[in-house]
Amino acid sequence: MKTAADLGVISCPLCELVMRSPDGDADCPRCGGFLPRVSRRGLTRCWALVIAAAALYVPANVLPMMNTEQFPIRRSDTILSGIKFLWSEGSWELAALVFAASILVPLTKLIVLGFLLVTSSRRSTWRPRVRTKLYRALEAIGHWSMLDVFVVSLLTAVVQLGRFASVEPGPAVLPFASVVVLTMLASASFDPRTIWVKS
Amino acid sequence: MTELAVCAYCGAVHRRADLPGRTTARCVRCDAPLYHSTTEVSSMLGVAVIATAAFAIANAFPLITLTASGHQSRATLWAAIMASYNYRLPVVAAGLALTLIVAPLVELALLLWVLVPLSLRVRPPGFRFVMRAMAVLRPWRLVEVFLLGVIIAIVKLSGLATAVLGWGAFGITVMAIAMASLGSFDQGVLWRRAEEAR
Repeated sequence: MKTAADLGVISCPLCELVMRSPDGDADCPRCGGFLPRVSRRGLTRCWALVIAAAALYVPANVLPMMNTEQFPIRRSDTILSGIKFLWSEGSWELAALVFAASILVPLTKLIVLGFLLVTSSRRSTWRPRVRTKLYRALEAIGHWSMLDVFVVSLLTAVVQLGRFASVEPGPAVLPFASVVVLTMLASASFDPRTIWVKS
Repeated sequence: MTELAVCAYCGAVHRRADLPGRTTARCVRCDAPLYHSTTEVSSMLGVAVIATAAFAIANAFPLITLTASGHQSRATLWAAIMASYNYRLPVVAAGLALTLIVAPLVELALLLWVLVPLSLRVRPPGFRFVMRAMAVLRPWRLVEVFLLGVIIAIVKLSGLATAVLGWGAFGITVMAIAMASLGSFDQGVLWRRAEEAR
């Protein structure tokens, strides 16, 4: 098994052109995109984004996500109480789906990114294949956490029935959306090839 | 070196082989997808046209219609974005506009910009820039997540009033499927065609 580094070649991440490695930083001759070498610099940026996302994860879950008024009842729902409400309304399948997208996915992303960062920083040789699969799983599921933000904006738009009923977004919407965007940026700034760098 | 494929995830080097049907080559070391079997530009163009039509429908018609005690209200894609803006969440509204309208609209326009000339064997103007712009936008298009959001919203509303899916929801569904299918096409064919056309 030869790697690109062994053969002195590099592959453009955008157009997949394979060429001899240039000396220093260079752009791809075919598409003009930047050719990143295996770089540990991204690890620092990834740490910063993970820490920022972890801090915002708290208000995102503690503050109300949605305020509902259905005369004469007013209720204020956090992410978790909204899931409980969906569960008690009889749709446990969808409640499970929202729980996975809104609670499990962001938490898993933070924990797994932290784990990948620690192992890559220490040049760990522990199961690189498993770690690469974890990284690909993060890339695949990350954006699904935006689900609850979309649901709240749809409900706000449609439930405007005068005095009868109304829905408004709560203060958790912005921190919650920020967690999703920050973790997406974090996983994009992690170079999975650092998993495979020989010690 | 055109016969080589390097894994983007672990750097392992492979010799390219012709793939049968619609299949994907995977890295022998880390199992990540390497490249897809080659496809015709014309079939990509067909799917892109379907996605564009579906996007127009998703924007023109209501997603959900709600009826309760004589009142009726509708939510379009645009209204869902403006709702956040009206509740003093301009940043969230901008994010929604980016992920649901701007990213898919620009991506589809650029895709047609590339696919129409390439299917006529002409190199599209600004080809390199357009291909890079599409790669930047792609992660921020969240139409398929929004589709699931529409379904959850309908279920949450069913306890409150009579909620019905509109034609806009149909548009979102078709678009999500078409865009997912475009993602499984081999992008390399566009680069090869553009080089032949030069």
